[in-house]
Amino acid sequence: MVRIFCEGSDDKTFLRLLLNDLKKSGDIIGFENFDSIVKIMGGKSNLLNKDSYETINKQIGKQISKVLFIFDCDFEEDDKSCGGLEKSQKAIEDLIIELDWKIEVDYYIFNKNLDYFIIDTLDKKKNFLGCEECFELKELNKNRKILTCIYKSLYPKKPFDFSHENFDELKIKLKKLFKEKQ
Amino acid sequence: MSKHFIREIEIKNFKCFKNFKAEGFGRVNLIGGKNNVGKTALMEALFTNIYSINLGYFVVAIAQLKNRRNILENLDSYIYGDSMTFKEKFIIEPLKNSQIFNVKTDIRETCFVCENKNGIIEYLFEIDKQQFTFNLESIPYIRGTGNKIFISTNGLTNRNIVTYYASVQKEDKEEFLNKSLQIIDSSISKFKILEDKPYCKVNEEYIQLTELGDGVKHFISIILALYQAKDGYLFIDEIGNGIHHSILDKLWNIILTLAKEQTVQVFATTHSDECIRALVTANTENVKTYQPKEHILEDNEIQFIELGRVDGRVDSIIFDFKELKNEVAQNMEIRGW
Repeated sequence: MVRIFCEGSDDKTFLRLLLNDLKKSGDIIGFENFDSIVKIMGGKSNLLNKDSYETINKQIGKQISKVLFIFDCDFEEDDKSCGGLEKSQKAIEDLIIELDWKIEVDYYIFNKNLDYFIIDTLDKKKNFLGCEECFELKELNKNRKILTCIYKSLYPKKPFDFSHENFDELKIKLKKLFKEKQ
Repeated sequence: MSKHFIREIEIKNFKCFKNFKAEGFGRVNLIGGKNNVGKTALMEALFTNIYSINLGYFVVAIAQLKNRRNILENLDSYIYGDSMTFKEKFIIEPLKNSQIFNVKTDIRETCFVCENKNGIIEYLFEIDKQQFTFNLESIPYIRGTGNKIFISTNGLTNRNIVTYYASVQKEDKEEFLNKSLQIIDSSISKFKILEDKPYCKVNEEYIQLTELGDGVKHFISIILALYQAKDGYLFIDEIGNGIHHSILDKLWNIILTLAKEQTVQVFATTHSDECIRALVTANTENVKTYQPKEHILEDNEIQFIELGRVDGRVDSIIFDFKELKNEVAQNMEIRGW
């Protein structure tokens, strides 16, 4: 079976939607309950800490045969040890070496964070950025969480455009994860 | 936790287990896994080992492995008549068809071997390195009711129920039993033995237990067996069988409370997600389930054993209660792989 490790419940909700979209398009076959394979680690620091994987270590090689870590790189100025893309990459690669699971392991890092990533995919991106500037939201909320919340409230039925090219790399990694053994 | 509790097991060549090890059992142990992965077989291995306090019991424990699963066939041959004696039918025949095995726990080591010596088959029983060799005709056996109980999917017999009820009476717990019955059916007010048969008082009328639903019998059997198994062991196959999901947490409340009060080590199997969730609810302090703090077991007292196969070999993952709670909260799949 596969496992995806993510930071929080928003990530899990987003991944469930994306995985269901991949299932609908036939890119993932024969999997019913995505909820049961996406594990919330409780924040980036926990996700990158090997001590968080005590229970999971028991499952590796038995129940779990393939793993994908998905998390935000965040901002370099906010976290000296693993903020920003470069440091996040090093942190996850160090973790993978430390865990030494001897199974197929991959990772995907959101540029800045999930909300930034989503805003970039919106067809009305310009309007939202205008809204952000007008209400000076960036000063209040660097992570752009407010913007994605506004978007989800305005368009509850079609929250994300998964055909946007921004999703391509993540989709490839997810398809690879579900290929062959499940 | 009590000294008599089994903490670990090593199984060689027992049913689907070729070479299997598991450690970290607690007071209450729930076993999950896909079909035919060995959930019941694991309990049978544990039961056989723990039941075999001497040769006579060891013989019966091995015979029971077959008898427990052959109830319908035995009934069929009884109806259509075969001339076998009890010993031939229920001891010798099952042993003839038994495999060589070795089961070792931290309590004792049990080993069974059958050897063909110049055309004569000899049966070797080994308990903690002490060996006993017999041919089938001279084999001894002991039938007895003790504090090591296995409730199979067929349930307990009326005879068992009547015997076990005496343990409830000894502890003056009739009222507790009657109150517990209200959980499964509010129209049941009393349990009684009348003319050596178990009855329930349903809407002022005494009705034989066999006339009531399977769930009622299963529910009562578990409570009675927990009293009978005082300072011993209780094994329950398919614990949620016949029990409505809405009361599974209350059944677990009773099991957790009595397992602690009566110092019983419990092993149970399930396929059901609802049953696993109910265990988590039952051991969480909660006004809704009325589980008082003093009845909450420690994290290491409840273990969930997930069975699955790795390269065709049966393997296990053992979660303590904290880990189980976390997996359940996140809806992770833990019912086997």
